[in-house]
Amino acid sequence: MNQNPEIIGTSPKRVDVREKVTGAARYGSDLKMEGMLYAKVKHAEYPHAKILSVKTGRAKKLKGVAAVATAADVPGNPAFGAIIIDNQPIAGDKVRYLGDAVAVVAAETEAIAEKAVSLIKVKYKELPGLFDPRDALKPDAPLIHEDGNLIVHHKTRRGDIEAGFAAADRVIERSYSVQRVDHAYIEPEVVVAYFEPDGTLVVKGSHQSIFNIRSAVSGVMGLPLSKVRIVQASLGGSFGGKDDVMSVLSCRAGILAQQTGRPVMLSNSREDSLIESYKRHPYFMDYKVGVKNDGTITAMEIKMVADGGAYASMTQFVTWRSVVHATGPYRVPHVKTDVYGVYTNNTYTGAFRGFGSPQITFAYESLMDEIAEELGMEPLEFRRINILHDNDITATGQILDHTVSVGQALDVTTSASGWEEKRARFPKENSGRIMKRGIGLACSYRGVALGAEGVDATGATVRIHSDGSVDVATGLVEMGQGLKTIFSQIVAAELGIPIDKIQYRPTDTSLIVDGGPTVASRSTIMGGSAVKKAAIGVRERLFQAVSEKLDVAPEDLIAADEKIMLKNDPSRSVAFLEAIALALETGLNLSCFGWHLSPPIWWDEEAGKGDAYFTYVYACQIAEVEVDPETGKVNVVEVWAAHDVGKAINPDTVRGQIYGGVATAIGYGLLEDVEMVDGVTKTMNMDEYLIPTAMDVGKINAIILENYDKYGPYGAKSIAEPTAELCAPAIANAVYHATGKRIRDLPLNLERIVLGHKLIKKKRRVR
Amino acid sequence: MIPFNLERAESLEQALEFLDRDGTEVKIIAGGTDLMVELREISPGEKGPGTVLDITPIDEIRGIKDDGSTITVGALTPHREISSSPIILQYAPLLASACSTVGAAQHRNIATIGGNVINGSPAADSVPALVALNAEAVFQSKSGERVSLLKDIYLKPYQTDIKDDEILTAVRFPRLPEGATSSYIKLGRRNALAISRMNVAVVLVIKDGEITEARISPGSTTPTPDRITTAEELLIGKEPSEELFRRAGQAVSEEMINRSGRRWSTPYKEPVIAALTARALGEAAGEGV
Repeated sequence: MNQNPEIIGTSPKRVDVREKVTGAARYGSDLKMEGMLYAKVKHAEYPHAKILSVKTGRAKKLKGVAAVATAADVPGNPAFGAIIIDNQPIAGDKVRYLGDAVAVVAAETEAIAEKAVSLIKVKYKELPGLFDPRDALKPDAPLIHEDGNLIVHHKTRRGDIEAGFAAADRVIERSYSVQRVDHAYIEPEVVVAYFEPDGTLVVKGSHQSIFNIRSAVSGVMGLPLSKVRIVQASLGGSFGGKDDVMSVLSCRAGILAQQTGRPVMLSNSREDSLIESYKRHPYFMDYKVGVKNDGTITAMEIKMVADGGAYASMTQFVTWRSVVHATGPYRVPHVKTDVYGVYTNNTYTGAFRGFGSPQITFAYESLMDEIAEELGMEPLEFRRINILHDNDITATGQILDHTVSVGQALDVTTSASGWEEKRARFPKENSGRIMKRGIGLACSYRGVALGAEGVDATGATVRIHSDGSVDVATGLVEMGQGLKTIFSQIVAAELGIPIDKIQYRPTDTSLIVDGGPTVASRSTIMGGSAVKKAAIGVRERLFQAVSEKLDVAPEDLIAADEKIMLKNDPSRSVAFLEAIALALETGLNLSCFGWHLSPPIWWDEEAGKGDAYFTYVYACQIAEVEVDPETGKVNVVEVWAAHDVGKAINPDTVRGQIYGGVATAIGYGLLEDVEMVDGVTKTMNMDEYLIPTAMDVGKINAIILENYDKYGPYGAKSIAEPTAELCAPAIANAVYHATGKRIRDLPLNLERIVLGHKLIKKKRRVR
Repeated sequence: MIPFNLERAESLEQALEFLDRDGTEVKIIAGGTDLMVELREISPGEKGPGTVLDITPIDEIRGIKDDGSTITVGALTPHREISSSPIILQYAPLLASACSTVGAAQHRNIATIGGNVINGSPAADSVPALVALNAEAVFQSKSGERVSLLKDIYLKPYQTDIKDDEILTAVRFPRLPEGATSSYIKLGRRNALAISRMNVAVVLVIKDGEITEARISPGSTTPTPDRITTAEELLIGKEPSEELFRRAGQAVSEEMINRSGRRWSTPYKEPVIAALTARALGEAAGEGV
């Protein structure tokens, strides 16, 4: 039972706001240590080449250089990886992209380290490079890794695809593509590594998923997990981006710390980050859809190829999310989806807020508008015919046994935005003006948490101290999303105490058991459930002590207003502090660990079927744009975004997530593109890799929908990622409404709007 | 980034003295918004400036003066000061407009017009407006003053004819003629903090319904900044009209191709500079055209 419900659903001040606003928060690059060395990386000079020799003699002799390490100095496994062990922190036999390290240097200053790097001479035998994943799948393609260029092939099968097309009045085929984008967190990657006297390797830094990083470092350093401590510094943004790349940095710095016996800082420049860190997967997507003239979808056949780049990273999981959701939130009785994740010699790709969904949402939501047009229907009307409802069956054969709210999301956004009226009015007004107005929508459904990717469980510890202060620890990390505040709210609600009594403990692998990664928008639903269990567990011990004192049954007590009181007679109570004293006097343990395991789900990879996620969230976003068809400039005027979160534990945080996700998606839709030509990154800094400014985002109306979910704490589900998957197709549909131009490739930059295709500059330089 | 010596000049005389002694390896820094980026991109082993000379204390080359016919803008004047100057807003509003589009507020507060001019970027925001104002560049060295038409100082992208011992001290230009109207349009990929994809500055004098003077100065269009006289001549003696302005825009893109040839970006730039020019002329001519 909910003890102190009033704090759930409110937006108290962020618990970490003071340190961040005053600048007191310590980020990775603030972690200077006595005797610390600075590391620099000698990067690959070809995107695909055999390493013949690495000459480090001159670099080692340079005054101020403490160590130069190559692959030969890696103490443990040469590589790490989530499923495929292929990512080498220091490349040994060959380089597979320009972000690979051939050697790493530690020196007294950054300048000396940089100078030393320039003295390292490497001999290569250049190998033919693969830069388009479709080429990499050809039978005669050169091999990037020994086991072939295919990282993974996932499929979904439902019904009988041929029968589905036979039942259709028309079959419509379209192809879409999306680009490679960078997380563009404000803080590039940074670590400090050092050894404790007991031989424990500590790596502090801008870490996202501390246990993934611990596992990588343990393997590469040849150290037991118990002798690796990963500590998160305040994080300057991550968005899924600070996992594998942080493992790489941690291993590189760890090796140098081991060789020198001194702390080593490795801090990426923005250029390093753009070249080295993994990106969001570019996708090529082919859709074939059967529809009846009445607007009913009968079949979808989908083929997608994802560019995984040089290393597998999260490609298996990213593409799995795509294969599950590829049809969108629609009833499709016959489905055949195949997704291929492929190696290339481009920068590798991995987790990025959305995780395989922004790509497919752009395709299927552009497609829904295109089909509606073919059928002479309005986009909204066509969607209403096909959207999922309660107890419908998804493309993977899963029955949706919760509130399916995509229809509700469509209703509220279209009504709030004045959809019908604007759809009719804008085309009439556009002929007389330079800037053409348009309005477009996109909707989606999204499986919550890890799903059948793997076991999904996490833990939390809540401790009550003798003075009435309380702390909470989890293995999940704050990265700006507000997790510390939400978890503190849950503890405050369950213990009936003010939120300012609660301290959030550091995120440190030595403090708590592995609770999985901070990904998949899982923190509130999974971590929140674990925190709630831990808080209830420790509360039960207080109730035990109080029940003896008041001579009542523990189940008749509640905790509220810093008291433990009788439910039916609040005048009979014991103060929270006194309850603590009573419990401690009787020897009760006021620390409790809560563990939460997700409800059962399953996936049959062979059959391409399963109950992929234990629950889903639904959303709709509408974008109103103005387009200058003569110059290609698109301005996003206003966005309406409705997201079903189950329950908004902290509504301001939900709104913050929506604003941020929409801004990210506007960048994806209009501006962002990590351009690579033959493996060479051309967008080397934020002057060329353009993300939207506050002047480019327009007004965002965040609309929170709450349909209680039985699996979430207080009914809460999730919010972070769905916010980022919708606005790009909504913009593309709005641009079509404004101009009649259908752009099937992202981003919709100036050149694409004017010419229909992008301009390609010649290759600039190899580093 | 590579190491360099930083020197500071307290007066113009001191700066010129310094350049006279050792001008070859010196880079001058004022706002630094271009130079700091350039310095950062120099890797160890590559050649960079031995010395960076800070001229920010030299107040004598900062500020805006109007002698009744000619306006002089000191090279150290930041863009923000120009875009908000009553003199500029009244007698050269297109320059105010151009300066207000540079980077973000932080850049406009520190970046100087002298830097924008001497950096020589074809995408410079202020330069097309200055060229449309028939501006001159004033250089000073120990041996004296040198004045050149601004458009003539540019040799190629990112290269001017400034000598090793010279400092650009000012840009100056006549007030816009009585009755002149003007416009400056910048197209960037973003609405702030954007480099000009293309831009254009225009000036029109219309008397009794007839165009008597026209100046068209596009940016990111030709290898060095210039007025496009072929387009201007089309307008003289004609009545302003949308159709006429479209033809002038067309003439600008033809001239662009004459000078630069067909490049990778031409398919985009060709229609866009024509449209921007026509639009700027329409804005300058005002309502009813």
